[in-house]
Amino acid sequence: MALFDALSIAGSGMLAHRKWLDAVSDNISNINTPSRTSEDAFKERMVDVQAVNYGQGDGGVKVAGVTFGSGEGRVVYEPDNPLADANGNVKYPDIDLGDQMAELMMAQRGYQANATVIDRATDAYKAALQLGKG
Amino acid sequence: MTMIEDRTMTALHSALTGLSERQRVTADNIANINTPGFLAGRTDFESALKAQISGGDTPTISGGTVARSLEPTNTNGNNVNLDSETVIATETGLRYQLALNALDGKYSLLRSALKTT
Repeated sequence: MALFDALSIAGSGMLAHRKWLDAVSDNISNINTPSRTSEDAFKERMVDVQAVNYGQGDGGVKVAGVTFGSGEGRVVYEPDNPLADANGNVKYPDIDLGDQMAELMMAQRGYQANATVIDRATDAYKAALQLGKG
Repeated sequence: MTMIEDRTMTALHSALTGLSERQRVTADNIANINTPGFLAGRTDFESALKAQISGGDTPTISGGTVARSLEPTNTNGNNVNLDSETVIATETGLRYQLALNALDGKYSLLRSALKTT
């Protein structure tokens, strides 16, 4: 057990949730990014999280990797678009804004919960540091 | 048992260690609130401490044992509840302060004994 464990664990939780927020904001900002029909559409980015030493050791959470969604997209007829092919089609990413907003809220609330843990832990550690001062 | 540290203080020390372990486990649970397949950890140091005190032994300083919660999981196999974790965190924080205050009281008794000439 390391000193001030709760702080580093909550810190790892904040980091993981912030990376999730980053991925969601990237997905939302590219929700209307067109691409050529010959190429992949923008792929939704999903963060995979994993417990650190689950059930043993110090604990915490880490981002284990990223999974990309399908690049298939949906084909839209937009002959004015400079990226349009001979038939006047372009591809838009097939990302659901509702899903992304739900994930945004989950990531945000998770981040806040971890920030609260840091507050609580700091209070307890501060009190412990006053021990024996009389 | 020494002159400075009696059984009460060892028991309080043990409680502080157990409570700080529970605080660590709660932080771990909240950090993993969105981790698929994560089961919340539950710390128990009270039963061992109680057995040692009622048996008349000097308590050992230990963080207790961590078991995994058997509560039902949600669709991603995670069973961390933010509300119960918050309650545990609040209660653990208050009990930690209480044990610290009690230990502080013992220390101030010792200090006043040392000051007497």
